[in-house]
Amino acid sequence: MIKKTFLALGLMTILFPVVAFAADPSGATLDMGLNSLWVMLAFILVLLMQGGFILLEAGSTRMKNAGHVAGKTIFTVGLAALIYWAFGYGIAFGGESALSKFIGWGDFFYNAPTAAAEGDSYPSGVFFLFQLAFAAISLTIAWGGFAERAKLASYVVFTLFYVGLIYPIVAHWIWGGGWLADHGAQDFAGSTVVHLSGAVAAFVATVLLKPRIGKFNKDGSANEILGHNQVFTALSVLILWVGWFGFNAGSTVAIGDGFFTYVAFTTMLAAGAGGVAALLISWAVTGKSDITHMLNGTLAGLVAITASCAFVEPWAAVVIGLLAGVLVFYSVKMFEKLKVDDPIYALSVHGMAGIWGTLANGIFATQELADKVGVGQGGLIDTGSFAQLWVQIQSVVVAGAFVLVASFIVLGAMKKIMGFRVTEEQEIVGLDLSEHGVYGYPEQLKKPGQSVQG
Amino acid sequence: MIDPMRPHRLQQISSADNVERLRWLRDQLHEEMYALLPTQPVEEFNEQLNETHDALIIRAIMLAEEEMARMGKGPPPVPYSYLLFGSGGRREQTLSSDQDSGLIYRDLPGREEETKLYFLELSKHIVGNLVAAGYPPCEGNVLSENPDWCQSLQEWRERLGRWFREPEWEAVRYLLIIADGRCVYGDTGLADSLKSMFFSDMLNHPVILKRMIENTMRHKVLVNVFGQLLKERYGEDAGSLDIKYGAYIPMVNSIRLLAIQSNIASTSTLERIKMLVESGKLSREDGDAYEQAFICILHLRLLTTEQNEDQLYAGNGKIHSSKLTKEMADELKKSLKQGKRLQKAVYKQTMGRLM
Repeated sequence: MIKKTFLALGLMTILFPVVAFAADPSGATLDMGLNSLWVMLAFILVLLMQGGFILLEAGSTRMKNAGHVAGKTIFTVGLAALIYWAFGYGIAFGGESALSKFIGWGDFFYNAPTAAAEGDSYPSGVFFLFQLAFAAISLTIAWGGFAERAKLASYVVFTLFYVGLIYPIVAHWIWGGGWLADHGAQDFAGSTVVHLSGAVAAFVATVLLKPRIGKFNKDGSANEILGHNQVFTALSVLILWVGWFGFNAGSTVAIGDGFFTYVAFTTMLAAGAGGVAALLISWAVTGKSDITHMLNGTLAGLVAITASCAFVEPWAAVVIGLLAGVLVFYSVKMFEKLKVDDPIYALSVHGMAGIWGTLANGIFATQELADKVGVGQGGLIDTGSFAQLWVQIQSVVVAGAFVLVASFIVLGAMKKIMGFRVTEEQEIVGLDLSEHGVYGYPEQLKKPGQSVQG
Repeated sequence: MIDPMRPHRLQQISSADNVERLRWLRDQLHEEMYALLPTQPVEEFNEQLNETHDALIIRAIMLAEEEMARMGKGPPPVPYSYLLFGSGGRREQTLSSDQDSGLIYRDLPGREEETKLYFLELSKHIVGNLVAAGYPPCEGNVLSENPDWCQSLQEWRERLGRWFREPEWEAVRYLLIIADGRCVYGDTGLADSLKSMFFSDMLNHPVILKRMIENTMRHKVLVNVFGQLLKERYGEDAGSLDIKYGAYIPMVNSIRLLAIQSNIASTSTLERIKMLVESGKLSREDGDAYEQAFICILHLRLLTTEQNEDQLYAGNGKIHSSKLTKEMADELKKSLKQGKRLQKAVYKQTMGRLM
C-alpha cells in the first residue's frame, strides 16, 4: 500500500513538474483568495436560507397555498436579483455624493470586476452577491405579511420598490456610510436592516390586507389556523439556523484573525437559548410545551443575536437569546389580541426580536469588542454610559418609521390602484389554484367542480 | 332555606303517567332550579337537583316497564338493578348531564337468551324515555341498551374478572366507570354484589391502581405555574374556562382513586371525602380543604354554558371568564391549587405504595 502511494506520487511529479516549481503566491493574494471563498460560502449559505423560508411559510400555512408559497419565493428571489443589480445596490453602496449621508448614488447596473483590484481584500462582485442575498432575505420576511391572501401581481410590484429603494436606503444608512453609520450604530449582520425592515413591511401588508378569512370571530376571539406540516416548519428552522452562520459569521467579510468563528459561537448560543426559553415559557403559561413557539423562539434568538453577535460576550449572547424566546411568545399573543393576523409570526420573530437584538447592543456590547469591530462603543453594562443605547434606539425608531411610511405609501397605492388581495372565492379555493391553476398537492385536494365520479 | 316546592315536585314526578308529562315536569324543574341556584348553598342545591333527577329517571324506568307489559312482554322475568354511572352515579348531575347507565339482572338458568332480550328491550325503552325527557345519550355508548352494559350478574362477574386480568386502557376505563356505579332503581343487592366483586378483585390486583392513575392523570388542572387560570385560546369558546375537564374531573378522579384504595364504596365525591377523613386516610385539614375546593367547583360547574340541541339538555362544561366576578375567580384559583395539590398527593401515594 505504502509502496503504491510513493509510486503514484513519483509519477505525479514527473507528469506535473510545474507544481513543484511554481512561484509561491504572495501572502496578500492568499489572503484575498481565502476572504473571497469565505464570503462566497457565506453568500451561498444565505441564499440557501430561502429554502428555509419556503418550508417555514409553506409549513405554517395551509395545503391549498403550498405550491404558491414555494414558487413565489423562488420567483421573487430571481426578480430581486435583477432589481438589486440594476438599482438597489447603487442606492445602498453607490459612490460618494452630496447626498451620501442619506442615499447612495452610482454603480447602477452594477458591473462586477473579473478580479480583485490591487489592495482589495476580495473582488467586489462577491460583496454584491452577499448583499443581494441579504436584500432577498429581507424581502422574503416581508412576504410573511402577505401570506395566503395577496395577489401574485402585488408580489411583483412590491419587489420592485422594496429591493430597488426601501431596503437599500436603510442598508445605506447603517452599512453604506450613511448618517446612522456616522453615529456608530451597531447592527453587525442586520437585526434592524434586514429583519426589522422586513417585519415592518410585513406588518403594513398584513394590516392593509386585513386578516385571513376565518382567523377572527365576530366577537373578536381568534381561531387557530394551523399550518399543514409541522415537520416542514421544524426543518425550515434547521436550514435557517445553518444558513445563519453565513449570515452572521459571514458578515465579518474576512477570515482575518479568525474573528468570524467567535461570531458563529455567540450565534449558536443565542439560538439555543431562544428555543429553550420559548418552550419553557409556553409550558409555564399555557400548560403545554408548544412546538410552534419553541421554533419561533429559536429563530427569535437568531434574529436578536444578529445585531450583537460581534459585540457581546458569550454570557450576554445567552441572555439575549433567552429574552428573545420569552419576548416572541408574548409578542405572538399581543398581535393576536390586537387582531393583527400574522400567519407565520414574522412580526414577532423578525420584528420584535429584531428590535430587541438591536437595543441589546446598547446594553451588552463591550468596549473591547466594539473597538475590535471598529463600530460604536461599549454598552450600558460595560461602560455605564447610555450613549450607545441611545444610538441603537435612534436606529430602530428611524429605520422602523421610514420602512413603515414607505411601505404604507407603496402598498396603499397598490391597494387603491390595482387591488392587493385576491377575492373571497379565490382565497377559499386557495392561491395555488387561483394564481397558478394547479394545486401543490394535486392528489390531496380536489379542484372545485370536480366531482368524485368526474 | 327549604324549597317549598320539593315534596310537591317529587309527588308530581312519581305520578306522571306518560313521557310527555315527564318532559314537561323537567322543563318546569329547569325554571325553578335556575331561580333557586343563587339562594341556596351548593351542597343542598346539588342534593335536591339529584334527588329530582333520580325521581325522573325512576319514573322513566317504571313507565318503560309498563310499556313492556302493554306490549305483552310481561313483567321483568327476574329482579334487576338499574345502574347510573358517571355524574349520575356520583349524584353530581347538573341541569345538563347526559345518560350513562347499565343494567344487572339475576341469572335465570336455561332461559338466558330470552331474559337478555327482555332486558335489552326494556333498556331501549328506558333510554328512549330519558331522551324524550331531555337527557342526551352517552357519546361513549355506556348505556344500558348496549349489550355490553346490560348483563346478568354471572356475566358481569366474568367480565370484571377479565378486565382485572387484562387491564388494557379500555378495560381500566371501564373499571373506573364501574367504581362510580350506583343503583338508582330495582334490586340493590345485585349492585352490591357487583361492587363487592369489584373491591375484592381490587385487593387481589393492587397494580391496577397504577394503571388507573395513568388513565386519569392526563386531565390537568386549569392553572399554570404562575397560578393564572388557563383559558381556551382559540375558537368559539376562546376566553372560556373548561370547568368540567380542567377542574371538576381532575378532583373527581383523584378522590375516586383514594376511595378505591381505601375500600370506600360511596360514589359521591363529597361523601367519599367524608369517609376518607373518617377512616383516617385524609387528615381533617386536608379533607376540609378539598371539600371547600370541590364545593366551589361544583358551584361553577352548575353555571357552565348550556347548549340545548335537538330538544336535549346538553352543556359543554365551560364557563366564559367574563362571567366570573373577581371573588369567584380568586376562589376558583384557590380551589384549583388544592386540586393540584390533591393530584400530586394521590400520585405520590399511589405510586409510592406500588414501588
